[in-house]
Amino acid sequence: MTQTDPLTSPLHERHVALGAKMADFGGWQMPIEYPGGGVLREHTAVRERVGIFDVSHLGKALVSGPGAADFCNACFTNDLRKVTPPKAQYTMCCDPETGGVVDDLIQYYKGDDEVFLIPNASNTTEVVARMRAELPEGLTLTNLHHDHGIIAVQGPRSAEVVAALGLPTDLEYMSYADAAFGGEPLTVCRTGYTGEKGYELVMPWGRAEAVWDALVEAMAPYEGLPCGLGARDTLRTEMGYALHGHELSMEITPNMARAGWAVGWDKETFWGKDVLSAQRAEKSCRLAWGLLVDGRGIPRAGCVVKNAEGAEIGVVTSGTMSPTLKKGIALCLLDRGASVGDEVVVDVRGRDVAATVTKPPFVQAGAGD
Amino acid sequence: MSELDYPEDLRYTAEHEWVRAAADGIVRVGITSYAQDALGDVVFVNLPTVGDTVAEGDSCGEIESTKSVSDLYSPLAGEVTAVNESLDTTPELVNSDPYGEGWMFEMKAAEVGAAEQLLDVDSYREQLD
Repeated sequence: MTQTDPLTSPLHERHVALGAKMADFGGWQMPIEYPGGGVLREHTAVRERVGIFDVSHLGKALVSGPGAADFCNACFTNDLRKVTPPKAQYTMCCDPETGGVVDDLIQYYKGDDEVFLIPNASNTTEVVARMRAELPEGLTLTNLHHDHGIIAVQGPRSAEVVAALGLPTDLEYMSYADAAFGGEPLTVCRTGYTGEKGYELVMPWGRAEAVWDALVEAMAPYEGLPCGLGARDTLRTEMGYALHGHELSMEITPNMARAGWAVGWDKETFWGKDVLSAQRAEKSCRLAWGLLVDGRGIPRAGCVVKNAEGAEIGVVTSGTMSPTLKKGIALCLLDRGASVGDEVVVDVRGRDVAATVTKPPFVQAGAGD
Repeated sequence: MSELDYPEDLRYTAEHEWVRAAADGIVRVGITSYAQDALGDVVFVNLPTVGDTVAEGDSCGEIESTKSVSDLYSPLAGEVTAVNESLDTTPELVNSDPYGEGWMFEMKAAEVGAAEQLLDVDSYREQLD
């Protein structure tokens, strides 16, 4: 890979003006946290009130033409036919040979002839390349990474804030509506990555600042905060949501990640179906679990997990201090045989930290309300 | 966080720690305003044990924020004589009051006047630029 200038979001100037701490996310320069906030305050704002996140670094791609939905359904794991437009669905793009996860993504089922994809920033090029290699004649696949901005509005007061912009909010979980803001198209979707009730707004690139400014004004009465990707990570970790590169990867299959709920096992085909079906039947791969630290200490990705006898039984994939529980929490992969309540030890840079095996989420939240 | 400040009466290290000389060769150690700002919200501090003998530059503890871990170094050679136990339950003091309530540990320097060899405020500020 060659060294290039970092990509910036359409809201870059807003972040700089706010004095945000910026960092690289999949080649994009994005805010980690804002002054006056910080990860803990931003996290709490979303759990208790509302926060807005710039997630414009996420990929965007459009598959269109006769049979677009069938094509996506033949590529990705989840069964798009289980839902009807206008719905969004979580799915995965797997490697046909290994079953490893190239990316996890959201597909907006617009119609049989149109599916809008939101892959992760750093995986967009790869997903698009793999699809293009097998694109049937008559279908068009367009990488729209720089055509749209995306802003997530998350938290128990998110509906009030989105409604203040004159946008529809009465949507079922994972449903979306094509609406307009200031005469320009804007899609509102009941999705998110925080566990709280929330919406993700997709708008033309050049409209992102106007939408952001309107949201900042609309959330003021609720003491909402602009939130960086630092808080987004602690929020998703508390929910046990997978982050590609940590809980899902080319080495960590949907079976291991317990993401089988997002696999259409009965579909005729999808990339990786054979190898994943075999692994599923074999029941020997490591499985995803949560760890709640008993005392002090914070497990981090890569820390080895040992059983009470000191034998290595797994590895931490993500770890943080839970701002809600004020305790160390982790997502991990453990050998078969582990169960909820098991006492284990995490090797945190040479220090043994005692933890209990759990099933995430670590906190109760209102995403589906 | 407003403007970061660096008191005139302290000595500093390149690892963004401050040292305050007290009586009897005892010095108090903490991290600078710059360090706490770079770390973000501090959520866990692992301090050395009273009685530990440390060499200059030894890693003797850890400071964890929501996102990252960084080592706490001993700025001088000597023996640890006290640690700030209130950081166990209120690690956020490192952010809110890095030069006061958020101090890390105290040590008796092996060499009298060793702290004077560390950076003064102007030298520290210079290397931040």
